[in-house]
Order: sequence, then C-alpha cells, then structure tokens
Amino acid sequence: MRWSIINTIYKKELTEVLRDKRTVYLVILLPFFLYPVMFAVIGLLSSSQMEKINQESVKILVNEDVKTSPLYAILQQDSTLSVEEGAFDPNGLDSTKNTIGLEIQDIQRDSNDQAQAFNVNIYYNSTKDVTESRANRINQQIEALNQQLLAQRLEERNLQSDFLTPIRVNKVDLAPPAAQMGKLIGRFLPMILLFFIFTGMIYIAIDITAGEKERQTLQTLFVSPIKVPEIITGKFLAVFTVGVVSAVMNLLSLILAFFIQVKLMGGGDGLSSMSLSVSSQGAFWLVLLILLSTVFIGGITLAVVVLANSYKESQSYVTPLMMLLLLPAIFATQPGVELTAQTALIPIVNIFLAMGEIFIGDFDPKLMALVSAMALIYAIIALVLASIIFANENVVTGQKVSMKSLFSRS
Amino acid sequence: MITIQSNALTKKFGDFTAVNGVRFAVNEGEIFGLLGPNGAGKTTTLRMLAGLLTPTSGEGFIAGHSMQQEPLKARRELGFLTGDMDLYRRLNPAEMLTYFGNLYQVPKKELKPRVEQLIDWFGITPFRDRYCEKLSTGQKQRTSIARTLVHNPKVVVLDEPTTGLDIMASEFVLQFIRKIAKEQGKTVIFSTHHLNEVKRLCDRVGIIHQSNLVALGTIEEVKAQTGQPTLTKAFFDLVNVEESIIM
Repeated sequence: MRWSIINTIYKKELTEVLRDKRTVYLVILLPFFLYPVMFAVIGLLSSSQMEKINQESVKILVNEDVKTSPLYAILQQDSTLSVEEGAFDPNGLDSTKNTIGLEIQDIQRDSNDQAQAFNVNIYYNSTKDVTESRANRINQQIEALNQQLLAQRLEERNLQSDFLTPIRVNKVDLAPPAAQMGKLIGRFLPMILLFFIFTGMIYIAIDITAGEKERQTLQTLFVSPIKVPEIITGKFLAVFTVGVVSAVMNLLSLILAFFIQVKLMGGGDGLSSMSLSVSSQGAFWLVLLILLSTVFIGGITLAVVVLANSYKESQSYVTPLMMLLLLPAIFATQPGVELTAQTALIPIVNIFLAMGEIFIGDFDPKLMALVSAMALIYAIIALVLASIIFANENVVTGQKVSMKSLFSRS
Repeated sequence: MITIQSNALTKKFGDFTAVNGVRFAVNEGEIFGLLGPNGAGKTTTLRMLAGLLTPTSGEGFIAGHSMQQEPLKARRELGFLTGDMDLYRRLNPAEMLTYFGNLYQVPKKELKPRVEQLIDWFGITPFRDRYCEKLSTGQKQRTSIARTLVHNPKVVVLDEPTTGLDIMASEFVLQFIRKIAKEQGKTVIFSTHHLNEVKRLCDRVGIIHQSNLVALGTIEEVKAQTGQPTLTKAFFDLVNVEESIIM
C-alpha cells in the first residue's frame, strides 16, 4: 500500500466533507450547540412551567369536619387555594376547573385510646398537572403536621422517637462516590458514545460509497492505477476522522449541557457529588477502546452501505446497523453481565463492558488488553470485508450486488 | 506498434455470455471504432480492457502491459472516459485535475504545468474555480476529457463519449479524438451508435453483434466483406436487420 495515494484520497474526501455545509452543520456544529441549547431551553421551560403551576389558583372543596381540624389553618395559609365548605360528591368534581376535594373522616377508636385520629381523603385528577401538584403539596403539609402531632403525643407520654422504630437500618455504601458515579455513567455513556460515533460516520460513509456510485464517480477511481485497499483505506480514514470528531463534539456538548442543566437546577453542590474520576491508565484504555470501536463500526458501516446503489437505498441499511449496536449494548447493561475472558470475545459487548469497568475504576489490565486485541481483530475483519465488497466488480460498475457475487469469482 | 490488444476476451454473467472471444489489436496513433447495437457487448469489452471487469477468459493489453497481470502498469498508460462518468461535486476543475494527477503519481514538478496546460487547451480557465456541481454539461465534458489526459496516457478508451451531449459538446469530443490521435500520436478506441462519427474519424472499425466480433477492418474492408456499398448497409447486414425495417 502506498501512503501517498491513501493520503491523496483521504485529503480529497475530507475536503469534500468540509465543503458540504449541510454535513458540517449536521455532524459537527449542530450536535455541539444542540445539547446545551436543548438542555437550557428545557430547563428554563420546565422551571417556568413549575412556577406557573405552583402559582395557579385551585378551588378546594372541604367537608364540614375539616373546618374544626388543624388542617383548616394549613389550607387557609396557602394563598393559591380557594376553600369552599360543604358536602360534595367526589365523582362530581369538575377537574377542568382545577378543583380538589378534601374530606376528613373520624376513625372509630378503642375506648381506652384517648388519641384522636382521622382519615383524610384527597380527591384530585392525576392527569391534570395543577391538581396533581397541589394534591402533592397538601399531602406534604399534612405529613409534616402528622410528624408534629406524633412528636407531641410521644412527648406527652414520655416516649422517645425510637419507640416507634425499634430497628433503624443504615445502609453504608463502601464504594467511593466516583465509583458509584462511574457505575451509573458506565451503563449509558458507552452507548451514547458509540451512538455518536455511528451517527457521525454513517452519512459520510454513505456519501463516499453509495453516493459516489449514484453519482457515477467511482469508475473514475477504479480505472486509476491504485489498489482497492488503498481506496478503501483512504475513504475509511476520512470516515474514521469524522466519526472521532463527531464523538468528541457530541461528548463535549453533552458535558457542557450537563453542567448548564445542573446550574439551572441550582445545584452548585450537585457538581461535586457527581464528580467522576478516571485514572491515567483508565484514560489510556478508554481512548484506545474508543478508537478501536470507531475503526470497527467504520469498517462495518462501509462494508454494508457500499452494497447500496443509491443514497436512498443505503438509508434502509441504517436501522439494521443501529440494531447491530443497540442489541449488544442492551445485553451488556443487563444485571449480572460482567467482563470476563468469555464476554471479552463478543464484539461490541466487550467494548461496553470494558468501558463500564474503566468508569468504575476497577479494571483488570489483562482483560483490557484482551478486549483491545479482540476489538482490533474485529476491526481488521470489518475492514477486510469492506475491501472485498468494494473490489467486487458489481460495486465498481454500479450494478446490484448479490451475496452470491460477493463470494464467487466470475 | 500495437498498443491495445483484446486477446480472446470473454465475459460471462452466470449463464449469459456478454462477450465471446473478442480479438482485435489497435496500432499506435490509430482511431478504432467499436460498433454494435445496444447490448451487443461493446461496453463490457471496453470495461474489460480498462480493468473495470475481470474477463472470464482471455486477456487485455494496454501499451504492452496485461490488464489482468500488471493492472497498475496498464492503467498508468490508459485514459478512460464513459458518457456516464461524473465529476466530484465539491471539487473545482483545477482541483479535480490535480487530484487525479496525484493518483497517477505524476511528478509534482510536472503536474502543475500539466494541469495549467490542460486548463488552457480545453478552455477551462473561465470556470476553473467553480465547483463541478455548478458546471454545465459541456463544461463537465471538457473537464472530464482533461482528466482523462492529465497523466499523458498512450491509450485513450472512450465508451459512448457523445451520448447525452448536445451538438456543440459532441463536436468538441469528436475534435478532441482526432486531435489526440493525429497530433499527439495517442491510440484511441471508442464505442458509438453513430455511424457518421465512425465514418468521419475511424481508421478501422470492429462490429460486435450478439457478443461476437462479426467484422474487423477499415470501412472499405467491412463494406467489401459484406458486399454492401455503404457502412450503414454493411452494419445492418452484419446485425441481420433489413435497413427498410428501420428507415
């Protein structure tokens, strides 16, 4: 293979990619701005919506017994509630007018027990955000009152609060906070990362294979004095570069969006508790695995989309390819699935599991080396497959490529 | 000196034989026309000669190099153009020529003056910096032809180069064929449906019908072979069609 030829093809493909404003916007710029803007807009909208819901006035119908109970004062204090007394039919509440019903029923007590007790029924429509939110707020206030009354009663009887909880359970998680965060992130971050790599690469891969076949420029390349592996390597490197750039942009964007969201939620302290630490050795394996999985996904993507004769036809291959990534990802996130010498042999699954262990910070370098070696082998197989398909004369001449023609010589 | 040789080229697609043992040779500086009805096997023959298709049997030679045994050497001496070849949309003609010059490994010192020369020859200067997707059909055709010649090949293979072109663009292509063969000594083989183009340009012709080469020689030799007074009548005679059916 001649690197000067590969470099020529690589530079030409990248030049065309960068000159396609639509691709630059969709693959690089849009993801970078999309997540922060999306998160910020959603954050702002949801906080203003919550504010609106909290301020909206709600009619509350209460029965006669409420007026003589301590609950009445609570309801009166809430300026957004308009209290109406009298008997009401819970089924007749008109939820469209933001109406809640609240009734108190006496509980029949043992004559020896002097303590008073009530049943409180709150009637609301859970499909209406305003009534549901207000019912929850009233419930919380009643719960606080409940605790207050309970404390008074215990005090009157000279009892400690332990009286009601003979056994107190404290669960102590010995995993460091970074590892706890790592476990959480390790479940979804590899999936997001590989998804970004795939979405970044797929349209470029389609454009420089099926798109080129459709535009009938591929023959020009094949009559030049260059070898098929040189063509596929040059094209692959362009796809690989875009995949990595797209993943980095998406990741940076997501991190930025995450911080914006935390800020909007008023969580200055939230950041420190959500800190994630990856050791330098872990970072090395992580970068290596990301690069190798990009090679693998790029190779497979090229090998599949080159079978299509047009841009439109190649679109139908996107979903099956996505499933090829998604199914191993779902399998890898199942409880009990861990990285072992056996799972390290399964493509994609091994990458997900290895990345998960790196984020937790507890990984076996030998298993990492095995996963990397397997990822490299699968990446090479994918590239060789892409090369074989690319060299097929039906691909060269823009004819329909059958499975039979791929593995037989004319 | 023979610069193109089709040595019993045969191509089968499953049970269908597209080209059956086609043999001919073209000399340096000669213009050779490949004639035949649609589906006769002209394009398949040219694609085998250009290395786009692998022959089922037989061998093609370009400037003495076997396309099957030494494809890189053979392709280096070959300029190939078909009517349906397009250009890279987001490269301009100057970049397009430089790109292919690099792929053909034209030395850097020679490439720049060569590109400028081709731009000048083919009148590309007014649109040299415009992306190819914005060029007219005629401008694309000029750029494609210049691309075919960027590495100064000894042999030029053209598959129906005037198909889909208007009269001006077709005339440009025909003049180009004559110029490179008669002024620059390149060997040209081209396939066409237009007998007028053949009469005007070709030193010799080959007629392919139903996958077989049924006639080979100068126009006079083909007329003599069929006993017909014109190339048109000879052609219809060879492809077993009565001229009256078509006329």
